[in-house]
Amino acid sequence: MDPNLARATVFINHLLANPALNNLNALQKEEQILQFLKTNAQSLVPTLSSPQFFPGKSWNEILQLLNTALMQETDKALGPQIEDLIRRKISFSFVAEIQPHRIPEEKCRDELLKFIQRLLQKPEARKALSSPLTAILGGFIGRYLKKCFDARKYVHFELTKVQRLRLEIENIEHLVHVTLLLRPSVQLFTVGRGGTGEGIESALVQAQFAQTVMHSMKGQLKILPPVLIRSGLFSNVSFQEDTQIDATARIAAIFSSRAKNYKPIARVDRGANTPDRSWFSITRRNYKYYGFDIKMLDEFYKIASESEW
Amino acid sequence: MNDAKHPDRVTGTRSSRGDVTSFLESLVIAAILFVLVQTFLEDFAVLSGWNVEIRNKILLAGFFFDLFFTIEFLTRLYYAIMVGKVGRYLSVERGWIDFLASVPLLMFNSGPLALTLLTGQGIAVGLGGILNLLKVIKAIRIARILRFLRIVKIFRRIKNVSSPMAQRHIASITAISVTVLVLSLLFFTVFSSSLQLDGLDTAFAEQQEAVADHLDENKDDPADFVFALETLRETCPSLLIVKYRGQALYSRYSDSYYQEFFAPGDYTHLRKDDLEFFFDQRPYVSQLSRESILFFVIVVLVVLAYLLIYSPHFALTISDPIHVMRRGLEETNYNLEVKIPQKYEADDVFQMASLYNEKYLPLKDRTQSKEGQSLIDLDTADVSHLFPEEEES
Repeated sequence: MDPNLARATVFINHLLANPALNNLNALQKEEQILQFLKTNAQSLVPTLSSPQFFPGKSWNEILQLLNTALMQETDKALGPQIEDLIRRKISFSFVAEIQPHRIPEEKCRDELLKFIQRLLQKPEARKALSSPLTAILGGFIGRYLKKCFDARKYVHFELTKVQRLRLEIENIEHLVHVTLLLRPSVQLFTVGRGGTGEGIESALVQAQFAQTVMHSMKGQLKILPPVLIRSGLFSNVSFQEDTQIDATARIAAIFSSRAKNYKPIARVDRGANTPDRSWFSITRRNYKYYGFDIKMLDEFYKIASESEW
Repeated sequence: MNDAKHPDRVTGTRSSRGDVTSFLESLVIAAILFVLVQTFLEDFAVLSGWNVEIRNKILLAGFFFDLFFTIEFLTRLYYAIMVGKVGRYLSVERGWIDFLASVPLLMFNSGPLALTLLTGQGIAVGLGGILNLLKVIKAIRIARILRFLRIVKIFRRIKNVSSPMAQRHIASITAISVTVLVLSLLFFTVFSSSLQLDGLDTAFAEQQEAVADHLDENKDDPADFVFALETLRETCPSLLIVKYRGQALYSRYSDSYYQEFFAPGDYTHLRKDDLEFFFDQRPYVSQLSRESILFFVIVVLVVLAYLLIYSPHFALTISDPIHVMRRGLEETNYNLEVKIPQKYEADDVFQMASLYNEKYLPLKDRTQSKEGQSLIDLDTADVSHLFPEEEES
């Protein structure tokens, strides 16, 4: 191994071991460290360019080394996690229900896994995958869907009557999880931002652009049902622009946003509302800005309030 | 210069000074707790009829506590004088409570009592009429009310809420309430004495004067005197001893009983020419103790009410919402809303919280989203250990 890369790896591993990052998943940690390096570049340059670290290297070269080391270390932790998620935790039995012809589940898994690995090659897509992954690992979808199905209100109606899903809650949860994993696919068709992946989460795409990407994606993902790809892609489109967006896509968009900067809080301050309740309340006021379905937000807010989440 | 060269030594000195201060503060808290127990026991012992030896020990303990708090007050005052902050100590830091709960007690309550016990002289000696004597007993016991102020001293050290503002407000209102209560009791008792209002003490004094006069009138006829004495033995349980020219003619109890159960202040002494009378004052003292315990319970309940009822209310309606808003304004990654209880939503604080929830937080969220950056938890301080320490220039 290149000695500089080895030194960069040691430095990155020290950062990754910081207790402040303990509760975060691999991609969140990567995001934090990238942000840290960017924010503190000025104070890090004198030390990192000293003889003890990377003598004679410019900051850009150092950053390149650190980024490479960071991606390698993240992938070491992320690879098995993603594989476990797709191969074992997500059930693809729902595919048979939303697809007229039968597709073997294993083929779906293989294609999705391959696709995610492709996504992870692009910094913007890596960053965009962070929130969906956090949403899946945080168990948001199942928790809220169960309450929605108990209440049988707007979300239930949209899923079962409008989107006409004849699925068990667990299968809808898996469907939304796959939608979340496909959500960053739109980043494969965007112009790179110099490897920083900045401004990904807030960026909505136009319906027309999503439609164009859809055509291209259908050529690349031949096994996964188009309705699933569409749901993943259109979760990046504002509901104000296209009110026909699938309920699963709208749910994926909301919870992907919820998971951004999400950190489990051990204890909520006395006098403060709970984290989910606060988030939904704030997001209800910004629903147009984020392109969310206000009725869904209202229902989720109510659930969060009643459940003290 | 030297300090900079010897940071460890400086830190060590500060640390040991901090340890000493912390130890002394803990000692004061422990002393306050013990003195409250001692104050209660002092009265409880009277009501329960504990023997003199135990009661005297409790009284002496009270003296040492008062001495300790007087020294504490003088030390704090001396320190305040040295740093030129006497005004601040006496007002903001409530040095006036330190004063009221120490010096007057030592001078007018435990000091004279300890002197009596240590010199072996009864407080009744040479004080003239019974009424005056009872007034002295009462005045000494009234001063003990000031001891309840110490509960304020301990209260201000209880950090039951994390907000310094809440702590200060609750400590202030408790100090005001307890002081008003204690001073009201004190002034009422003093004024009622000076206005010559008839009370239990007057009734006791008049009865004892009447008994003495009755026996004095019959002293010339031995048969009448014996008859009068026999009658009084049945009808006047407070009559303890009657002496004629130093010779005991009558004694209700044995000497050992007096020694075991009669402390200074538990009896009164009256002289009529050659006759001397000793009266049992314990029912009167018990009444004073009963009142004292009642005052003590009232003060404790007032403090507990502030601590357990008002303090959470203050936190709920004032300090907690402000704390949440402050964090939201200060910390980039703190986005929790203020919880607004429906019944208090018209309060200014919650109206402001409503604006914070509905205007500020959504705006903050949009701003952060526009900037497109994740909120970082890492700080350069977190990785300082990775870098070699910079050498001193």
